[in-house]
Amino acid sequence: MPTVSDSLLHYRPWRGEFRGPIHGSLAMARLSLLLLARRKLFWGLYALALMIFFFFFYGQYLVVWIQEQTSQQTVQFGGIPVKVGDLTKFLDRLNLNGSAHTFGNFIWFEGYIVMIVMALAGSVLVGNDFAHGSLPFYLAKPIGRRHYLFGKFLALGLFLNLVTTVPALVLFLQAGLLYDWQSYYFDHLREFAGILGYGLALTLTLGTLLLATAVWVRRTVPLIMVWTGMFVLARLLASMLVEGAKLDARWKLIDLWNDLYLVGLWCLGASRESIRGDQPEFWEAAAACGVVIVLSLLYLRKRIQAVEVIS
Amino acid sequence: MESPLLLFEQVSKWYGSVLALNQVTLELRGGITGLVGANGAGKSTLMKLATGQVRPTLGRVTVSGVDAWHWEARRLVGYCPDLDAFYEDMTGREFVRAMADLCGYPAAEAKRRTEATLERVGMTDRANRKLRGYSKGMRQRIKIAQALLTDPPLLVLDEPLSGIDPVGRQELLDLFRALAAQGKALLVSSHELEELEKLTNHVAIVARGRIAAVGTLGKIREMLDDYPLSVRIDLEGAKDAARLLLALDEVTGVDIDRESLTVRAKSPKSFYRDFGDLVVREGLVVHRLEPLDDSAHAILGYLLGGSGKT
Repeated sequence: MPTVSDSLLHYRPWRGEFRGPIHGSLAMARLSLLLLARRKLFWGLYALALMIFFFFFYGQYLVVWIQEQTSQQTVQFGGIPVKVGDLTKFLDRLNLNGSAHTFGNFIWFEGYIVMIVMALAGSVLVGNDFAHGSLPFYLAKPIGRRHYLFGKFLALGLFLNLVTTVPALVLFLQAGLLYDWQSYYFDHLREFAGILGYGLALTLTLGTLLLATAVWVRRTVPLIMVWTGMFVLARLLASMLVEGAKLDARWKLIDLWNDLYLVGLWCLGASRESIRGDQPEFWEAAAACGVVIVLSLLYLRKRIQAVEVIS
Repeated sequence: MESPLLLFEQVSKWYGSVLALNQVTLELRGGITGLVGANGAGKSTLMKLATGQVRPTLGRVTVSGVDAWHWEARRLVGYCPDLDAFYEDMTGREFVRAMADLCGYPAAEAKRRTEATLERVGMTDRANRKLRGYSKGMRQRIKIAQALLTDPPLLVLDEPLSGIDPVGRQELLDLFRALAAQGKALLVSSHELEELEKLTNHVAIVARGRIAAVGTLGKIREMLDDYPLSVRIDLEGAKDAARLLLALDEVTGVDIDRESLTVRAKSPKSFYRDFGDLVVREGLVVHRLEPLDDSAHAILGYLLGGSGKT
């Protein structure tokens, strides 16, 4: 260690302007993303999310190529001549045609990865700070409690959108290039805005809900259990109630991911009739998401006011 | 008059039904103040209030006039908590840099400050190692580095010497003294009273949620009139001196061990005055005078009514 006087000489005072605590939130978001990026598991899950994206990406291309080039040609399948177009009929379920349902379905399927990633991210980014007592380091810096949580929210939101909104926008761009791009982009502005709207709904709902649950349960395993309860068990229960017990379609509102899917399709401009199965109204799904956001924010507000670092 | 660097005004803090701090009033303007007290006395709560980690139930805590709970006050305070729960995957340099970013500095300044503080705590050459591989002492230095980032006028250090080897301890003590010499106020809690005494003579003693005493150890000892002072005196002619000392009203007993006396006196203040007069009047040749019970440990023992063990 150098002598103290030597060290102090190098420590000249700074005369610049401090940036506000919002920049502290950005720094917190950057730090959070860095922490996520250090975990191999997240890269594995991100790779899975990319696989779903590439399935849709090449699927869109394949469908157009088959339609344009080989739909009337036949191939031998088990010794039977079959039209190429018929072989790819299963892809019709996914609507790989640059329509509202293409993007809705894409984000729906990404949901499986999103749920796992969010549960782990919540425990790593928020739960650990509470459970292991690292909060004093952050809260002793010139940021407020809400800036701390906002930073975590930004990190979660960015990761969420990297898995859903950003790839969906790439699919939108690709769809335009596969068809007549000038007319596609102009005719499908609603879909473009819808993707952004869907992303916003996902970010607000899942971001606030995850922060609230992570602040509540703090540890990884309970967080995953709560998250699984909300997104797996609730979905099974909703399905049993509506499709099994033939109860009112509104019971599907307990399935939050389905609610977000409906809100997303609403944003994308899909007609309600084009959605399979009994579903609640779009506005009812939006109201359910709104209730989740409000309850999460109220809980966070209560915790922000009360949060004190007591070890 | 300028606002004190740290001011507690009639501050009480309840955790549920537990009263952690009870109507504490404290003012720090500079220098090093040791915070001592038994476990559960309220030291940590006091430090958390000073750094805006917890909010007072009653009263007000301000740092240079700014409410300690407000985020702006935290630019004026550096806090080194006793916990060391880091993100273990990060290197020491990354951790300190992340903390500098949180302080609101632009990137270049955050980098410069990171390097400056790492250098200051002697960690520059080891800062690229992951935190999980650090010894307790290295972790302690990293915690101190992040507390120094804003070059704050007030430093609150919770057990900063814990786990540091004797050489490193001396280096940090020198650093703390240098910071105090710059006009900063340091509030340092430590269980190791001997180390704390090397650092400062000014202490705040916390007992059962109250500030039992604030001031220099000597002043506090003087106020403890109920407890007899024990002083060891090495002098020539011990037997004669013992006789003269026993004639003083203040002296309650004297033990003789060859040329050394152990004197018990009622009041430190009166004893030192009367003993000074006696030395001059009788021409005593005193080689050594050592108070045996005005150490922080002994004073704490008197105040807490026990051993003083923290």
